[in-house]
Amino acid sequence: MNKKLKYVGKGLIREDSYDKASGKAKYVCDMEKHNMLHARLLLSEKAHAEIKIDKKQALKIPGIVAIYTYDDIPKIAYNSHQWYPGVSALEDEYILNDKARFVGDRIAIVVGETKESVNRALKEIKVEYNELSNVIGIESAEKDEMIIKGNTNLAFSKKLSCGNIDESFKKADFIIEDIGTTQKIHHAAMETHSCLAEKDEIGNIIVWMPCQVVFQEQYIIAKVLEMPYSKVRVIKSIMGGSFGGKGQPILGPICAFAAKELNRPVKLIMDRKDVIQGTRSRNASRIIVKTGITKDGKIVGREITANIDGGAYYTNAAAIALAMGKKSFRLYDIDSQIFTGNTYYTNTIPGGACRGYGSPQIHAVTELNIDNAARKIGMDTCEFRLNNVVSPNAEDPIGAPNLGNARIRECITKGMKRFNWYERKQLINNKNTDRYAYGIGMACATHGNGYHGAFPDFTNVDISILPSNVVWIKVGIHDQGCGTVQTMKQIAAEVLDIDPVSINIPQADTFISPYDSAGSQASRVTFVCGGAVKRAAEQIREKLINNFCKLNGCSKEKVILKDGYIYKENSSEKYTYGQIALETETNLEESLNVNMTYKSPANPAVYAVSFVEVKVDKYTGQVEVKDILEVHDIGQSINPVLVEGQIQGGAQMSIGMALCEEIEINKNGRVKSENFSKYHIINAPDMPEIKMELVEKCEPTGPFGAKSVGELVAVAPAPAILNAINNALDTNITVYPATPERIIEAITNKE
Amino acid sequence: MIIRALINGEKINKDVDPNKRLLDFLREDMRLISVKEGCGEGECGACTVILDGKAVTSCTIFTGQIQGCEVVTLEGLDKSGELDKIRDSFIKHGAIQCGFCTPGMILSSKALLDKNSNPTKEEIKRAIEGNLCRCTGYNKIVEAVEEIVDSEVK
Repeated sequence: MNKKLKYVGKGLIREDSYDKASGKAKYVCDMEKHNMLHARLLLSEKAHAEIKIDKKQALKIPGIVAIYTYDDIPKIAYNSHQWYPGVSALEDEYILNDKARFVGDRIAIVVGETKESVNRALKEIKVEYNELSNVIGIESAEKDEMIIKGNTNLAFSKKLSCGNIDESFKKADFIIEDIGTTQKIHHAAMETHSCLAEKDEIGNIIVWMPCQVVFQEQYIIAKVLEMPYSKVRVIKSIMGGSFGGKGQPILGPICAFAAKELNRPVKLIMDRKDVIQGTRSRNASRIIVKTGITKDGKIVGREITANIDGGAYYTNAAAIALAMGKKSFRLYDIDSQIFTGNTYYTNTIPGGACRGYGSPQIHAVTELNIDNAARKIGMDTCEFRLNNVVSPNAEDPIGAPNLGNARIRECITKGMKRFNWYERKQLINNKNTDRYAYGIGMACATHGNGYHGAFPDFTNVDISILPSNVVWIKVGIHDQGCGTVQTMKQIAAEVLDIDPVSINIPQADTFISPYDSAGSQASRVTFVCGGAVKRAAEQIREKLINNFCKLNGCSKEKVILKDGYIYKENSSEKYTYGQIALETETNLEESLNVNMTYKSPANPAVYAVSFVEVKVDKYTGQVEVKDILEVHDIGQSINPVLVEGQIQGGAQMSIGMALCEEIEINKNGRVKSENFSKYHIINAPDMPEIKMELVEKCEPTGPFGAKSVGELVAVAPAPAILNAINNALDTNITVYPATPERIIEAITNKE
Repeated sequence: MIIRALINGEKINKDVDPNKRLLDFLREDMRLISVKEGCGEGECGACTVILDGKAVTSCTIFTGQIQGCEVVTLEGLDKSGELDKIRDSFIKHGAIQCGFCTPGMILSSKALLDKNSNPTKEEIKRAIEGNLCRCTGYNKIVEAVEEIVDSEVK
């Protein structure tokens, strides 16, 4: 543990909160440019159809400047999941598509002088749909009767395995099988998708947007517009939440195209319905788990098959299957295991990153199966897990990076104690009445720290100390709302012993930020970018000390850095770092600056355990989460207030997954839950108070011992809640979300 | 139609399409950008304003309906100094992440506190039940409002 930290580990206030709390923060929707045009997309209303678009009447609406369709655009296909050219993925979408492949597919863009004219024109465009039979849902895709593209709807399939599953199952006393399904989920960032693009005076395309990977936007925009990469400037704007939803370029390329064609700034905004239907969703899945166990509670083998709804375009078909698979090998120590991931095309919303990237789906089912396994042999579920969880520094059985300082065991034991597990288990039934059933449940989860071991995971940092006494750090980070900038500041402040307010870290901008290999995704920012900022700060600290010694003729050992001042031991003459920067320029003829590359050294696992108590109304099927405790192994927290915010917010999302959130799509492919009146996210009265415990054991490969937190938090509560419901009702509900209807059905079936 | 209303303490007298959503009127004609659009159907609360003392969603109100009324947005509270205490509490408690729901959250909380200076936790949660937040899980927002209550009661 780091004992003497001054800035790291403190709940310091983030600088952007003042503007946000005053309503002054400008998001893209608030930005205006001289001579700016407004735009909206026309999205398909049919799930699968050939289309013919008649825009004649719409073009007559006063103020309409242009309407583009597939006929007008460059015929360059791309894959919006691809964040650099090294990610191999089928390129099968255009900035405007030739055919409708899901309700919400981009088929036209309308650009006009005012929002009103654009909205009027959207209604005047005549779309003739020649409907084709469609593929809705995984089961329909598996049949391969209607094939969306190529020879089969199976877009991607891969097996991951260790040991010998057949042999291991022979050793098992019992094999416990469960089939579960998870739903499509809307990210529900409160800010809708938006983008503003313009061509500057020398022909650069400049794009402002809330995004997670500026270099991905730059790469795709340059590719589809056939422009030099170096002439596309993408600036990450203030972001009103993402949760993965703003990860893939959806608006950037088409908005940039319109601005380039029209040579005027274009602002493209989506409304909520557009975002729910026309962007990305968490992939739905159907997961089959078979776990072989011995009578004394050891898992000897496990077979998992995950069938995944990939949606209408390839996007993340491979990544989502592999992400689910890899997690399966990093929570329990299982000698023999086989995972098969199959991703299918369907005529529904394409899949994309969504907080947890596969972890919420896979754990949603495997953690219910673990409870059933424990129940089969009459063992306590916590004890069963303690018998089987991984140990610190274990190797990954399929050759992925080492698990690092994995503290899942401590999370479980600490949680059992705080939750008073054994006593509550004994007494919970005493609360039951004719109408209400009470239950407790728990679940575990694991997640990663970036791409090391799978994809290039490096970032470049350009750090300077300026004569104005500002530490200026250029690194390609994207604050999605969770406080990334503040996190980086506290890391640098700790190294340099300077108040974080003296540190300025602009967010990602392809013309300012040095290249970053993978963006603010995959839980890599604190661990990888934070590691990079720490190393860069250490290097500039070294340079600051060296220059101070050169300028003042002293030895390094006698130099002290404290509270933003540098001085010789026992000397009363103190200098600000800025003064040394000025003297460096004046007398050494150089800048006080370091440019460096940091390669992620590892990819340790993070762990979470959720304990919950639920009250189920057997008459209505309503569930109330009465109590919830979240225990997280995240290494050293850089800012505990931000960490708590992640845990509480992640729980809100996961409770929604357990109980009410679902993008419902009917057999014709129509999205029924097209706005918040039909897509229910947990609101304040339904949100329980989250109790939290952190296991802050240092991860040696992370900055000051830190690991990731922001995605992990959205995984364990959902299966813990279903385990608690099943505990309360003595059922085996494995379909998410456990809506009142499904709960009543499970009660009825049991009777 | 000429609309006469009091917006953030200023009398306005403007020729406006009465069927324009109040949200659009405030953002476009009055340049009050703290009023955000999150859903356009009165479900998310990002566009909350205080209309004659009541927190309402400005996306479900037509501009014609504010004739003779008083409208307050976050900019108005800032100008009058009434924002200071509630803003500081939100900041101190870490109740702000992406910030998109924040103006609406603050206005719903303010409308509650103006009517009831000593609300219970449940009353606070009910006051913000129409304000959705995806980042915070509401816990810190409720704490922030509770602290204002405590400090005022003391």
